[in-house]
Amino acid sequence: MAAPSYLRSPFGALKRIKISPPTSTCQQRAGFNTVIEALKDQEHDIEKLQELAKERNIKIDTDAPPALDPETQAQVSSLRLPRSVQAVYLRPLRRAAQHGIPVCDLQLRTYSVRNMEFFADFALRAAYYLNLPAKGPIPLPRITERWTVPRSNFVHKKSQENFERITLRRLIQIQDGHPETVRVWLGYLQKHAYYGVGMKANVFEFEGLDVGKDMEAETERQREGLEEKLSLFGRRTDGMTGEKIREILSSETYQRTAHGDSPMMRK
Amino acid sequence: MSQFRAKKLDLGCFINIRVIRDHTKRKVFAEHEPERQALRYIIRNTTLPQRTRAQAQLQLSQMHCYTRGTQIKNRCIMGGKGRGVFRDFRLARFQFRMNALAGNLPGVKKASW
Repeated sequence: MAAPSYLRSPFGALKRIKISPPTSTCQQRAGFNTVIEALKDQEHDIEKLQELAKERNIKIDTDAPPALDPETQAQVSSLRLPRSVQAVYLRPLRRAAQHGIPVCDLQLRTYSVRNMEFFADFALRAAYYLNLPAKGPIPLPRITERWTVPRSNFVHKKSQENFERITLRRLIQIQDGHPETVRVWLGYLQKHAYYGVGMKANVFEFEGLDVGKDMEAETERQREGLEEKLSLFGRRTDGMTGEKIREILSSETYQRTAHGDSPMMRK
Repeated sequence: MSQFRAKKLDLGCFINIRVIRDHTKRKVFAEHEPERQALRYIIRNTTLPQRTRAQAQLQLSQMHCYTRGTQIKNRCIMGGKGRGVFRDFRLARFQFRMNALAGNLPGVKKASW
């Protein structure tokens, strides 16, 4: 199911182009930005003036000299992009993991690989700028579901049709990250969630040797908040059945017959 | 049974009487589940007097059939059909095919291998 080249994500295509970033100093970037802004302002002002002139029926000569002489224009266009913008056209940068201890496994799932590739790229970039060493995206086995249905709405079983749904998966592993930073990363990804891409994260946290004490203290601290949530877990323990049993057994019909020497009362 | 049925239509999918009936059964079952479970518990609890257990048995068997979980049947939400309904999509096979071909089911396409 290789998509034609014009259908592939702009990121993927651009990633393949190997642009060697031209070397230049930092001052040039500042110059570039200010020049661009000045140009924009100028254009805006000219448009405004022309509109005003049209409104008031004033003639202005359109043969005015261009805003920049060709030499300056050429110089401006030869300036390199800012580093952060240039990076978008290149493969995402990565931090090297020092210890290689996995702290978060993020699984992305989708039916269309383009969206996921794009989002995986985005996630890696976000991880880089948050100082998180990330591994991936590792392609995981695809989940293929198939259904066969008769073509007609009634009988004619001999003529059938096959349908399938292939779920594609990618794994991004964060290593050596601080739990807080990992949470920030996950929150950021959730905030900028991409359409058609599902996310699932397994987060591992590591504790010191006194983990039992810490956990007890933590449990005590969170008790009120937890009660409500824990009551939703597992089998129903809200006592509805228990209450009902008590209600039935204490009802008049049961009580009347449960005493004395009525039949079947001996065990 | 109409005594359980909602006075106003409380469904937003394809409607016919069988769909409404199934929906009613689901509601009635949910409402009476604790009672059924309580009776089942009493029946199975050997520490209770035999008479109580027999009484509970009778009471359970006399409960309305709509309170039984086995009465619930998945139906197609777009055609109301009761057979060949896919759990994944809650659609019967023909509706599934039409919707898949129309591209309404994310990720589902014609397979060829």
